[in-house]
Amino acid sequence: MEYYAGIDAGSTYVKLVIATHEAFLGQKVAPTGIDCCTTARKLFGELRDELGLLPTDIRRITSTGYSRRLIDIADETVTEIRAHAVGASWTGPENTKVGTIIDIGGQDSKVIIIDEQGETINFAMNDKCAAGTGRFLEVISRVLELDIDDFGPLSLKAMSPCRINSLCAVFAESEVISLLARQTDRADIIAGIHESLAKRISGMARRVSLEPGVLLTGGVALNPGFVSALEDELRMDIFVAKTPQFNGAIGAAIIAGNSNEGQR
Amino acid sequence: MNRAINLKIDPLQRRKDRFVRSLVRSTQTVLAELEGHPDLPQSMGYFINIMRDVFVDGREERLFPSTGLQSANHKKVVGTYCMMVPEELIYAAGAIPVRLCGGSHEASSIGDELVPRDTCPVVKASVGFTSLDLISIYRVCDAVIVPTTCDAKRKMGEELSKFTEVWMLEVPHIKDNEGARRQWLEHILALKKALEELTGKKIGRKALQTSIRMIANAQYEARRLYEIRKSAVPVIMGREAMLALNAYSFDTAFEWTKAMARLNDELELRRDKGRIVVGGNAPRVLIAGCAPIFPNWKLPSLIEEMGAVIVADESCMGSRYFYDPVGVAEKTMRNMMAGIAARYLMPCVCPSFTPNEDRLYRLLQMVEAFKVGGVIYHVLKGCVVYDFELTRVEIIMKERNIPLLRVETDYSPEDIEQLRTRIEAFVEMLGSKKKG
Repeated sequence: MEYYAGIDAGSTYVKLVIATHEAFLGQKVAPTGIDCCTTARKLFGELRDELGLLPTDIRRITSTGYSRRLIDIADETVTEIRAHAVGASWTGPENTKVGTIIDIGGQDSKVIIIDEQGETINFAMNDKCAAGTGRFLEVISRVLELDIDDFGPLSLKAMSPCRINSLCAVFAESEVISLLARQTDRADIIAGIHESLAKRISGMARRVSLEPGVLLTGGVALNPGFVSALEDELRMDIFVAKTPQFNGAIGAAIIAGNSNEGQR
Repeated sequence: MNRAINLKIDPLQRRKDRFVRSLVRSTQTVLAELEGHPDLPQSMGYFINIMRDVFVDGREERLFPSTGLQSANHKKVVGTYCMMVPEELIYAAGAIPVRLCGGSHEASSIGDELVPRDTCPVVKASVGFTSLDLISIYRVCDAVIVPTTCDAKRKMGEELSKFTEVWMLEVPHIKDNEGARRQWLEHILALKKALEELTGKKIGRKALQTSIRMIANAQYEARRLYEIRKSAVPVIMGREAMLALNAYSFDTAFEWTKAMARLNDELELRRDKGRIVVGGNAPRVLIAGCAPIFPNWKLPSLIEEMGAVIVADESCMGSRYFYDPVGVAEKTMRNMMAGIAARYLMPCVCPSFTPNEDRLYRLLQMVEAFKVGGVIYHVLKGCVVYDFELTRVEIIMKERNIPLLRVETDYSPEDIEQLRTRIEAFVEMLGSKKKG
């Protein structure tokens, strides 16, 4: 059996998967911390032990993500765009062709249009502003004194979602504070926040002319409240990737497996 | 103790010193990067030295050594802020033109305090440089000419006039009518008169003829460089070719032409010998949109660092500047002036003109001639007119299956990492498209 690893060293979390040519065997995630390289090594050791593999069993490691170049155990690096495009072939729905990937990360968000072969044809990134990213939700969760995992279920109970007018994460935060001061229901606030995030993302998606078969990746995809807000905003069904946080790492592992360059 | 010493030095002077230090440092970094390339053509040394003389060394005696600028009755120097200023007239009046459009991050942050925030960095840097009165190339100018192209350039003139002698040159925005063309010719004739007054020398038929020929020769060599860059396997990196073209701003057309001819000879030799600088598989990129202006080499460096090669640019510091020579039927004064006026108005496809369909044709021509695999569309923050035309360019490129990436940025280095990811992904995409 040949094993491959993919590491997605993101701005907020490091994600690692180990896979064979056919399937992925396990995954691990940890906060990036101040030294992503050590974090990656530690995760790699732990997952390998859990799967009962020797270091020599891993034929090749590919890294991606914001700090990809810093991962010294990797044999090669690929951009997040390519990793997500490739990962979609495993994490996407069974019977539907994926045409668009929307990835919402901790520090940026991207829309990737792919063709039948899974090659990127176009992409757009928001990498200048926190408002369209996972960080936005984290900031708001702190103000609301809520766990980010409770956001989805709670927002689905909203009766009349608030309108959040600010497009900037910092100003939106103060808007939320004043809503709280007026004793607005937190469910309504979160629903409003989801709507505002969905608006940002769909604006970017329209610019690159969205293809049907939308796959949502990144941790935010686990938030059903946001998914339904984005579906409303794009007016189409969205597929949530299997293990959405790991899509980039899975893509990297597949690329490691397909690479015919020198092996370890 | 130290404090006391510091207080004796004028704070403005300290600020100026800091400015010069950081300008020198950032220019050195860019030049060192260029010089570090093992395949840098030898003849590039001349152009790199020009940039070093202007931005690093900065002493007046290093500028235009051949023209005796330092002698008692030295030549007048006229700054220009756009490619639409007829340099032929400046030479014919016995003065030297220098192109002053600013490309420095440091100067642009000085300009930040003097012009509105949403102004483009070119104007910010130009105002910044002029206000500081530090850099010789700006100090030696006896007058500067600002064509009224876009909003920012138009208002820039008023800001510059606080520090230096400014002549505004009114440019019509719709080319396709006789009235505009006649009006433009009037303005060019008035400019001729103003230049004659400045230098005290009448522009004669012979002198004008000579300067037209001199600039045509420079354009001939520039076009030769573009021809060489069409070859299937690149023999010069785009960031180097673009620097050589940029250096024209600070050199006399005569000297520059000689140096460019040497570079072209060297490159042709390389081509014939099959010496290449990057693999024939490197994605071929066209830079469209706002011009990269030295020392802002952020975009050209990043694109080529990621493994692509810039084969052409569609900008007012490159192809647009050099493409069309003045066409003269008869060598009468009237005819030559009409030829000059026509050359500086009609072929210019700056997006400050409307309508501007010709730019789209020109872009398609370039994509075909240079076998371009992808277009990087450079938008400097605040340059609304280029951004406006993006949608049109996107559509025609999509029809031809040419990927396009819009990059909006300014001169500051803070977004380099984000740009790197985006450009790397784009180059990666072009590479896999080429294989597929």
